[in-house]
Amino acid sequence: MRSSAVDKGLRTGVVFGIIIVTMFLIGFTVTGAELVGKILGTPSSSPSLLFFSIFMILVGAWAGASASARPLVEVDTWKRALTTGVWAGAMSGLFSAVIGFLFGELISNKIDPRTYLPSVSPESIKMFLFNQTPLTGSLILFSMLTVSGLAAAALSFFVRNNDSVKSSKRKASESVWSVIRSQRVSNVVQNKYTRYGSLLAFAILLIILPRVWGGYWNYVLGTVGIYIILGLGINIITGWAGQLVIGYVAFFAVGAYTFALLTAPEPHHLMMNFWIALGLGVLAAGISGLLIGLPILNLRGDYLAIVTLGFAEIIRILLKSDLMTAYTAGPRGIRDIAGPTIFGKPFNSDVDFMYLIIIAVLVVTFLANRLQNSRTGKAWYAINLDETVARATGINTFASKLLALSLSAAVAGLAGVLFASRNQFTGPDDHALMVSINVLCLVIVGGIGNIPGIFLGAFVLKGLPEVLRETESYRLLIFGVLLIVMMRLRPEGFLPAKRPELEKPAVQNLPGKEG
Amino acid sequence: MSTCIETKEVSKIFGGLTAVNAVDVVVPENIIASIIGPNGAGKTTLFNCISGYYTPEHGQIEFYGMPIQGQPTYAVATMGIARTYQNIRLFGDMTAIENIMVGQYPRFKASWVDAVLSTRRERDEEKQSIQESSRLLKFVGLEGLGDNLARNLPYGAQRRLEIARALANKPRLLLLDEPTAGMNPQETGNMTHFIRNLRDELGITILLIEHDMRVVMDISDQITVLDYGTKIAEGKPKSIQSNQKVIEAYLGPDVTSLTKKYQLRKKQRYDVKS
Amino acid sequence: MFWGLPQHLLWQSPHLLKRRQYFMDKPTSTSAQVRLRLERYIRTFAGIVIGVFLLWRVYNVIVLQHNFGADTWVRFGLAGLILGGMYALIAIGYTLVYGIMFMINFAHGEVMMLGAFGGFFTFEALRFIHAPTLANPELNFLNAHPFVSVLLAFLVGISVSATTGYFLERIAYRPLRKAPRLILLITAIGASIFLQNLAMLLFGPQRKNVVNPDILDRGAGWILKVSGNDVLISYTGIFSLVLSTLLMIGLYNLVQRTKLGRAMRAVASDRNTASLMGVDVDSVISKTFMISGALAGAAGVMWDIHMGLVNHYTGFLPGIKAFTAAVMGGIGNIPGAMLGGMLLGVIEAIGPAALGIDFQLKDVIAFSILVLVLIVRPSGILGEKLSEEKL
Repeated sequence: MRSSAVDKGLRTGVVFGIIIVTMFLIGFTVTGAELVGKILGTPSSSPSLLFFSIFMILVGAWAGASASARPLVEVDTWKRALTTGVWAGAMSGLFSAVIGFLFGELISNKIDPRTYLPSVSPESIKMFLFNQTPLTGSLILFSMLTVSGLAAAALSFFVRNNDSVKSSKRKASESVWSVIRSQRVSNVVQNKYTRYGSLLAFAILLIILPRVWGGYWNYVLGTVGIYIILGLGINIITGWAGQLVIGYVAFFAVGAYTFALLTAPEPHHLMMNFWIALGLGVLAAGISGLLIGLPILNLRGDYLAIVTLGFAEIIRILLKSDLMTAYTAGPRGIRDIAGPTIFGKPFNSDVDFMYLIIIAVLVVTFLANRLQNSRTGKAWYAINLDETVARATGINTFASKLLALSLSAAVAGLAGVLFASRNQFTGPDDHALMVSINVLCLVIVGGIGNIPGIFLGAFVLKGLPEVLRETESYRLLIFGVLLIVMMRLRPEGFLPAKRPELEKPAVQNLPGKEG
Repeated sequence: MSTCIETKEVSKIFGGLTAVNAVDVVVPENIIASIIGPNGAGKTTLFNCISGYYTPEHGQIEFYGMPIQGQPTYAVATMGIARTYQNIRLFGDMTAIENIMVGQYPRFKASWVDAVLSTRRERDEEKQSIQESSRLLKFVGLEGLGDNLARNLPYGAQRRLEIARALANKPRLLLLDEPTAGMNPQETGNMTHFIRNLRDELGITILLIEHDMRVVMDISDQITVLDYGTKIAEGKPKSIQSNQKVIEAYLGPDVTSLTKKYQLRKKQRYDVKS
Repeated sequence: MFWGLPQHLLWQSPHLLKRRQYFMDKPTSTSAQVRLRLERYIRTFAGIVIGVFLLWRVYNVIVLQHNFGADTWVRFGLAGLILGGMYALIAIGYTLVYGIMFMINFAHGEVMMLGAFGGFFTFEALRFIHAPTLANPELNFLNAHPFVSVLLAFLVGISVSATTGYFLERIAYRPLRKAPRLILLITAIGASIFLQNLAMLLFGPQRKNVVNPDILDRGAGWILKVSGNDVLISYTGIFSLVLSTLLMIGLYNLVQRTKLGRAMRAVASDRNTASLMGVDVDSVISKTFMISGALAGAAGVMWDIHMGLVNHYTGFLPGIKAFTAAVMGGIGNIPGAMLGGMLLGVIEAIGPAALGIDFQLKDVIAFSILVLVLIVRPSGILGEKLSEEKL
């Protein structure tokens, strides 16, 4: 009879074993080693075995720690922790060893796996086996994972249960909290001068930094800014009004293309002023939202989502087709789109554009903030929570949703204009479904329905991959996993939306003669 | 005394099932009218017809003389009809005071443009809204709980919050669907008193679906009894209590013969004793 | 105690005493009805305009310009039927899952793609096994035993897809059984992205050529003479069509006649009551996912054999088109999914030529049908009206 501790260990081990094998097959083991090297501050183009070892140890430790996590029903003992840890480590080690051995044998027989598995290069196999023979390498893998699993299990048990560790943890958190809650700190935070001061400092930073940190950062953070705008836009219709719109990129495309067609020398040679074209682009996007919304907004949630996907794809295919080339320049896209100008002088250096994006972000944030707790915003959230009852309380839900979609579309249009203008080029491939998915991801991960969450999501999901260049090819994979995991664990996002406190301040401000 | 709401031969048919069958109900204003009947008699369906969720297949519904059958729910709400639900349907993830503020939606005018530009209208209405909502919270006894999420409130508080949300609309007609469901006798007594006060202090007409007969007999000015979608009796509480058809609807058709048998048995025992 | 009932009036507004002014506004009772009727008129009018326009185009192309002879139509029609059979199998998968869990399994296209890869790898593996005979010393297993090979490919493809469907349900969907539908949809989208990219990272973004056994060579088949020209009725095409029909018949019988099918219909109807009647709901749902996956896997292997190209993106478009087909036929309705699939295949094949538009825009036809069906008749051709919620 196997005990349940062994069971748990084996099960966790199998899961992690599969994860390791998959990572190996997609080449993530190499990337993981590179990441470790980068985090440790020694960026080298070829990851060393040390980093790889650290990476595998970390994975093994994770396996051991999660296997030996505090059990729900049984008693948490040394024996159980160690058993689960060792079995988890051993199982994942077994998987890794077998796979490593197999592939090692393959390359020793001069078979290159890359015909069928392009990510499994001979170099990655060699690294996986610590540059040893297949047998030795796999044995090293096995032992490394087993030991790290065991060690991590022991360590986590110790941290969980040892009294001195627990008390010092408690003391540390208490002291931190007492500082946070202390009167002096709250006085400082609420002090008018601190607030204005920090706002001023922030504004100065926003002005100085774009000049200082160079073109690369301006570009990256500019993209983050555009995605913040997109996120705030989709937040209106999806976060507040609760209507999932997968085809959001359609409005982005309308804005970008309208602007492009109005300002590029071909195909129409209209060469409009930047600002007028910007306004028209936003307006066109808003109107497109209105038009698309009219027939679809009384559809049920998932149907609505798919219909918008249909619209977005239709628009993209039409833009790409030869049929519409006379109007939309077809698959080649539109070039030489105007940059911004202020009173005739060009304003389109990367620093200037960064300022433009910053201003746009501030404007949209201000808009969103105002809408959030207004009567309209509450109506949207009511529709989200229970549309039938919202209707029964007197809200014209169709009109309200239509308004939300139009505003969302207009914001997307703004983002599209900025995007097209910055790249001075736009084509049908810029408006694929992936943009929508990106925006949805960042809103969902960051925090549905609240503004700081969207900022967080944009920085994490757009900024981080830029910084962690190595993970570029794995970005979408990680997105997929993130979506699944977030929906399971924390559907409201990392920074969940909080409802405003309305009664308390009102009561404090009322004169005291209420009966 | 004008008629608040009147249904004229209203019928609602779902496929093969006639849920409401040519029901005529006349409710004068400023009274408490109850609609009772066994489960499945069509009471909530009638409510749904009045509040605009369903469109009756036949018949008319007139609210202060204006036909409202077939109107969408939000128009009906804007006209001054508010309702509560059998299983409480609050906006759970909003705070209590926000729920009430949503109830006030039809009465205010600030649009999104006002919100963005932060016009005087927006600011004034916001202030007024919060003040009124606070007062409503106090009225239903939830003062201080306004910033709690609605789904975190205890059951009785949720029921009261739902009524507060309905009242926020300043309705002329209030449809209450089983307001005392799940309450103990004391809470029921409070609710009864509260409903009576709504009629007396605020001049609202109240249409009530209720299963607790004590409540019904206590506060109703008028009772309509439905069974299998048809109106089988209407009148003052006293007459309904002794109405044969009503008793049979609730207790079954054999009740008359049972009552006779019982009374005969009682008489026999009495005769034997003496 | 009482709820702090104030004895003074609750609202300090003077209107309260003046009943007339208590009214919000005096809505014209017909305004909403007028709007609804207007909406209906606009819809019918738009429908008629679009219909007339399409018919005019078709008439133009077929009769007036006479660009294509009857042989082209037969060719297209046949291609459409073959494609439609595959769409139908995938569409049944969507409909089964929707019927039983009320969710759109956005990752279903990827399930088909993985099955296609399974079939591909089987063929590749068998291609490299030597099975020399006296007549042909270079023979490989694939060509020596083609029927066995094809059977094996189907088995592998179906197993891979069914397993994927099973794990998808266990890992991603089951924990969210009680969650709102949109969360399920987002999870499904996440799963779709994950599987697509996993396949891309594992197998590379290039499209792979599927090498059929020689007897199933894609260019081989019977020749039919139509209006003077040759129309090829390919072996692979007929094979796919026959097999999809058989599978559809098989599935229909499974759902209508077997105990499992009854259980599936019960759970789709009313999950709680089915559970009270002793049906193991979890097991039935798992099996439904496996069956839907199996069908998609079969379609995937058929795709391998008939189309010959596979990569991580292979499942995306057929997935969406099959979903369109399922909705067109009435989501939750199995014969509807079959009908929708065949219909969509034929429309997609004949459409561009008949309407005189570019073949590039073939997908626009499918997406437009999707949009139109959802807007005009979301219950589909054979579907029932969705029941209203209980108030």
